[in-house]
Amino acid sequence: MLLRGYGTDGLWGWLTLLLVACAAWASEITFELPDNAKQCFYEEIVQGTKCTLEFQVITGGHYDVDCQLEGPDGSVLYKEMKKQYDSFTFTASRNGTYKFCFSNEFSTFTHKTVYFDFQVGEDPPLFPSENRATALTQMESACVSIHEALKSVIDYQTHFRLREAQGRSRAEDLNTRVAYWSIGEAIILLVVSVGQVFLLKSFFSDKRTTTTHITS
Amino acid sequence: LALYFHIGEREEKCIIEDIPSDTLVVGRYLSMLYDDLTHAVTKVTGNVLLSKLYGPQGTFTFTSYISGEHIICFQSNSTRFVVIAGSKLRIHLDIRVGEHFLDESAIQAKDKVNEVNIRLEHLIEQIHHVTREQEYEREREEKFRKTSEETNSNILWWAIAQTLILISVGIWQIKSLRDFFISKKLV
Repeated sequence: MLLRGYGTDGLWGWLTLLLVACAAWASEITFELPDNAKQCFYEEIVQGTKCTLEFQVITGGHYDVDCQLEGPDGSVLYKEMKKQYDSFTFTASRNGTYKFCFSNEFSTFTHKTVYFDFQVGEDPPLFPSENRATALTQMESACVSIHEALKSVIDYQTHFRLREAQGRSRAEDLNTRVAYWSIGEAIILLVVSVGQVFLLKSFFSDKRTTTTHITS
Repeated sequence: LALYFHIGEREEKCIIEDIPSDTLVVGRYLSMLYDDLTHAVTKVTGNVLLSKLYGPQGTFTFTSYISGEHIICFQSNSTRFVVIAGSKLRIHLDIRVGEHFLDESAIQAKDKVNEVNIRLEHLIEQIHHVTREQEYEREREEKFRKTSEETNSNILWWAIAQTLILISVGIWQIKSLRDFFISKKLV
């Protein structure tokens, strides 16, 4: 989710808008990665654009995933195995399609939920200063500073939401595990104790019959 | 529509959006490879909210009436690209959550005051969204806290129960064996 704003003023403004619109983009997607699966995403990037890839594993297993980012010529820009969370910034050195993949191939039966945020380019200014005769008015500066503050609020909110989801997932796992193990242990306890007594009783019964057999 | 991923024939790929209630979600997508029909389904915890057969490119919108995990799935019903073996359908995707003011062409205002006005309204919309997210976060944290407290009391009560079972079964064992040995005239 991204706040975007464009002010325009004539054709030149529109051109700037178009160029700037192409330069700035952010996609954040949460998806489920099944076990032994690999999911790749592709993005066409213009040379010289500063991009950031950030990902976090929300639920599943040990909350880790493999991530790999490749350039258009196949060169590996970033490769990490079994990471829970990471953020990677790079500047595109060439034009072309960049590919990044998340892999859960090391896991045999846990599904993972992965969140990633791929930001391409910087955000355009709210009030572009192309056709300006004067500096930003007070209203506009206030807008700009509120906009910046809101962006960071939303950013923190997203991070907090992800961490909370992760914590809650662990807590629910713990709860079910405690419940099942406790019930299991109680049952095992009963079965073993009762079994012991009957087994012991059976030893003495057999001995009795053999001793009577010997004397007769 | 820059980000894309591949989808195989009849394969379903889903995206999860955990959002509060009354939130507008707008998705734009574009599928490339002939003119395939793509099926987009939105589900909330098992109930299908929106299920439509879309063309190769389009926009879908929905407003969440309940807070929770909304799952947006894409599936291609076409069999036409089976001809080229192993080829995959490319789906470009752009999903925006909580933004009402998407129409950027409306933002090109004629005068300064209007421009700032529109900008401010957009900011107010954003703040409402932040507030709704916070409310939802409060609900989720409460659920989290309940789960943790339930785990805590589970551990306590089950430990007590197990100790009681242990003691009572131990007493029963001794009693039972004693009676057994007395009846067998060994004691």
